Amino acid sequence: MILTTVYVLTGFVIGPLLGGLISGLDRILTARLQSRIGPPILQPFYDAAKLLGKEKTVVNVWQAFCAFGYLAATSMAVVLFFLRSDLLLILFIQAVGAVFLVVGALASTSPFSQVGAHRELLQILSYEPLLVLVVVGIYLETGSFKIGSVLTHPEPLLLKLPFLFVVLGYALTIKLRKSPFDLSTSHHAHQELVKGLLTDYSGPYLALTEIGHWYEIMLLLGLCALFWATHWVGMTILIVVTYFMEVLIDNVSARMNWRWMLGYVWAMGLTLSLVNLIWLYTA
Amino acid sequence: MMTNTLTSTLVLLPFLAAGCCYVLRSNRVRSLVVLVTGFLLIISAVGLIPLTPFTLSAGNLLGVRVHDLVMVADFLLLFLILYFGFKHRSLVVKILSLLQILLVAYLEFFLIKEVPATGTIYCDSLALIMVLIVSVVGSIICFQAIPYMRNHEAHLRLDKSRQHRFFLVMILFLGAMNGLVLSNDLLFFYFFFEVTTLCSFLLIAHDHTATAIQNAVRALWMNSLGGAAFIVGLTGLYYQSGHLDLQLIIINASPGARVFLLSLALLCLAAFTKSAQFPFQSWLLGAMVAPTPVSALLHSSTMVKVGVYLVLRLAPAIHGTFLSQCVAIFGAFTFLAAAALAVGQSNGKKVLAYSTISNLGLIFACAGLNTPQSVTAGILLIVFHAFIKALLFLCVGTIEQHIASRDIEDMRGVYATMPLTALITVMGVIMMIMPPFGVLLSKWMAMEAAARSFYLILIITLGSALTVMYWARWAGTLMSDPFAGRFKPERQPLLTWGALGALSAGAAVLSLAAPWIYTRMIAPAMSGTYLLPYRASGGILENAAGVFAVLPLSVVAAVGFILSIWAVKRAAGARIVAPYLSGIQVTEPGMFKGPMNRLVKAEAKNYYLSSIFGEHKLTAWVNLGAGVLLILMLGGTL
Amino acid sequence: MLKNLIQKSRIKSPWLLHYDCSSCNGCDIEVLACLTPVYDIERFGIINVGNPKHADILLVTGTVNQRNKKVLVNLFDQMPHPKAVIAIGSCALSGGIFREAYNVVGGVDKVIPVDVYVPGCPAKPEAIIDGVVLGLEKLKTASLPARL
Ligand code: SF4
Repeated sequence: MILTTVYVLTGFVIGPLLGGLISGLDRILTARLQSRIGPPILQPFYDAAKLLGKEKTVVNVWQAFCAFGYLAATSMAVVLFFLRSDLLLILFIQAVGAVFLVVGALASTSPFSQVGAHRELLQILSYEPLLVLVVVGIYLETGSFKIGSVLTHPEPLLLKLPFLFVVLGYALTIKLRKSPFDLSTSHHAHQELVKGLLTDYSGPYLALTEIGHWYEIMLLLGLCALFWATHWVGMTILIVVTYFMEVLIDNVSARMNWRWMLGYVWAMGLTLSLVNLIWLYTA
Repeated sequence: MMTNTLTSTLVLLPFLAAGCCYVLRSNRVRSLVVLVTGFLLIISAVGLIPLTPFTLSAGNLLGVRVHDLVMVADFLLLFLILYFGFKHRSLVVKILSLLQILLVAYLEFFLIKEVPATGTIYCDSLALIMVLIVSVVGSIICFQAIPYMRNHEAHLRLDKSRQHRFFLVMILFLGAMNGLVLSNDLLFFYFFFEVTTLCSFLLIAHDHTATAIQNAVRALWMNSLGGAAFIVGLTGLYYQSGHLDLQLIIINASPGARVFLLSLALLCLAAFTKSAQFPFQSWLLGAMVAPTPVSALLHSSTMVKVGVYLVLRLAPAIHGTFLSQCVAIFGAFTFLAAAALAVGQSNGKKVLAYSTISNLGLIFACAGLNTPQSVTAGILLIVFHAFIKALLFLCVGTIEQHIASRDIEDMRGVYATMPLTALITVMGVIMMIMPPFGVLLSKWMAMEAAARSFYLILIITLGSALTVMYWARWAGTLMSDPFAGRFKPERQPLLTWGALGALSAGAAVLSLAAPWIYTRMIAPAMSGTYLLPYRASGGILENAAGVFAVLPLSVVAAVGFILSIWAVKRAAGARIVAPYLSGIQVTEPGMFKGPMNRLVKAEAKNYYLSSIFGEHKLTAWVNLGAGVLLILMLGGTL
Repeated sequence: MLKNLIQKSRIKSPWLLHYDCSSCNGCDIEVLACLTPVYDIERFGIINVGNPKHADILLVTGTVNQRNKKVLVNLFDQMPHPKAVIAIGSCALSGGIFREAYNVVGGVDKVIPVDVYVPGCPAKPEAIIDGVVLGLEKLKTASLPARL
């Protein structure tokens, strides 16, 4: 019981703190890649605190509902991750968050929010099957969807699921809102859709979506970490390399359109997963 | 004795009440009859819970053997269908109904020597679940039909009310469904099967417009095809086993025998037509010309559920066969294809229709997968789908009567004028796609069960991603508020509120009670062919491969929900600003100042991606694919 | 504690909205120059956002005319409190060389309250950054919302 409480609290508190730090690091790294110095590492926390202290303005009260829903779902997913629950269930709950964000954006009639929301739906459409297939691969290798059994698996999953790790990378790039897949909204500067999905979230509600995003970062990196769960050194290296690759890809690629994204991600992602899954079946 | 009374209430009372509805032409009396019948059905269905499982033999009714009664009624029914074939000049219906008449005659007069003495009625957990769904959801839909039809006829300005015919068929339908799921004698089953075909025909044609009749005839011939396949399958089964006792057939299954397997494949084909799987989807899509309660009834608790019920029932008999695999692939294919087609639709009722087809496909996939988990998933999906689909249809019907459109684009910001109905609709959508609600619970089970077969899991994941897309889009659109000041309080008849409230609360409570449903109703049915798939303790469903903490998650979701509502309350004090329109918005909601200072409406339509998911792009291919799979299924048994 | 954190954060994270009223684009180029690696204002947590709903500071360049004054007011209204307005360049201050034109209203302060005036034609990037820093003082001292 005590252990459960500890896990819940870690997931709930440490999750967003780490996630925020990682996105701070991300901004510095990006700045360095553009030969700038970049903000302090705590910048995401300053941003969120400032937003929390701003006046509340909404277009439609349901935005507030959806922002809370997003935060609740993503934090829940992370807590379940720390509780070593069922991976498929965690993905479903994570999807709840994404849906709330979309519904909140659709609640505003601004064309920027609307188009952003639809692009986000297309992004969900692109990565959701991939994430499920990754989890299915993990299940085939370890015999269970529960994280507990992944942690006790004797050898790193990466060795058996290399292609699925690449597939996870695609999902990660979309989910972290990195180019070339940052169609619905993006972190840095602004884009052709103003801020797309997040255009009409403002002040504290925008802060909630930020914090929710930190949880999501944690969840996704947690998924990556499962691929080398046997030793913490391997795990750290894997995460650092993966994240660096994400930032690099973000900086060297241009934003593409949804047609390309859907076609490319499904073609590559499904082929790679299929190859890896068939390999697992026959092995 | 008790079982006798309850069973006859469930099956025979609707037939009587239907007659009353037809004869007594006063609106008051009819409403009363409908209400009383509905409540009696609900009470009897609930009363059956502690009595299951049980077996009954039909015996005599008014001194005549029930078997003979059913036989006579069967012929009458088939001749009636033949008559409609002539009336609407449909060659296919004529041929198919003649074929059925001949086969039934052959079966009854030449093949069947003796009438089985026992076991015409058999009620186990699966049948009980179906009876509960039919009686509860079906009755609620009939209740809501009372105010709906009043409005409907006022809107059409008919000089003579045709409601007596409408309620005749609606109530009859419920009785036929109850009879169908309780029948153990396959000839009884076949009789009720045909009654549902006829009822759906009459209901679709109810408005008597040219399209209505055309679509009704289409429904009739497609379902007659199913009926013909069914009766051919029965003949085969009789040849093989010498009786038509469903339970015995399942227990003594001989999957090695070709005739047996082919007969079962034909029964599956019949199930596919009933459940409007591809390539027979067009009858269900056409059915939306009928008044909305009809769609609600056809889509949720009756008609289409016949097919999935039949296949789930037969699942143990085809366990481990090629046929079973074919059913799984066929179902998964339908799940994906219908979801893709739903993405391309802006017509709300069509989205609902495709979503029904899609969910039924998933249930077929579960039945075909034929593992304890997948069958559990299938049964749960039937329950939750029935409730939520009925709810959504009634919501759309209510919205449609207000805005005079069923297009999703026209439902933009319906929240402003019909806040409560819009909220209930969004609730329905949320229960369709979000954990911890039942549909997602069953989907979770289905996915974990399908994970061992990589083509199935691939198809199912793609399908479920598409599903999220079309539902989320719709929910958002309903809330997309063009911002027109204060909300008007919404007025609806009491029965409408009652129906919507009962269905949404029912779905939510059942989701919470899913572990209990599992231990109480599904686990007992699992004995025999299947091992128990899950341990249920403390509201948590768990097995070696996965865990879904229904109760804890529901508690967390409830807390989250309350918090979010609190946030909404507090946000009501927030400053309301106009949506961002690049700073050129004006005080009129949704407008901006365009060229020459003229006001322009800012509009953004949803993405329907019809260049990829449109009907004109996909339907032909999907029908082709489904056709190939069906041929594979039938041919593979030979 | 919380109050201190928020006040500190306000200074640490000013997000800008840049609105070009009708400038000759000289001032705009200088504003954008601040974003380049040479000045790199992201060091101070400054981000150039495209949306008044996310902005803390409104940078206005160019003179206000009859056609765009409504837009300026709209943008200003859509910004949540606390917010500051910084007028950049002679045009934004007073109408500059365009002030006699038939359609010109004049400086930004004719339409919305201005907190910091940055002179110059065009204003230098250093001056603009300085102006933003001055504007931050206002954000810092602004009251917190009654309920967080
Ligand atoms: S102040 Fe000078 S540089 Fe700036 S906009 Fe006006 S004319 Fe152009």
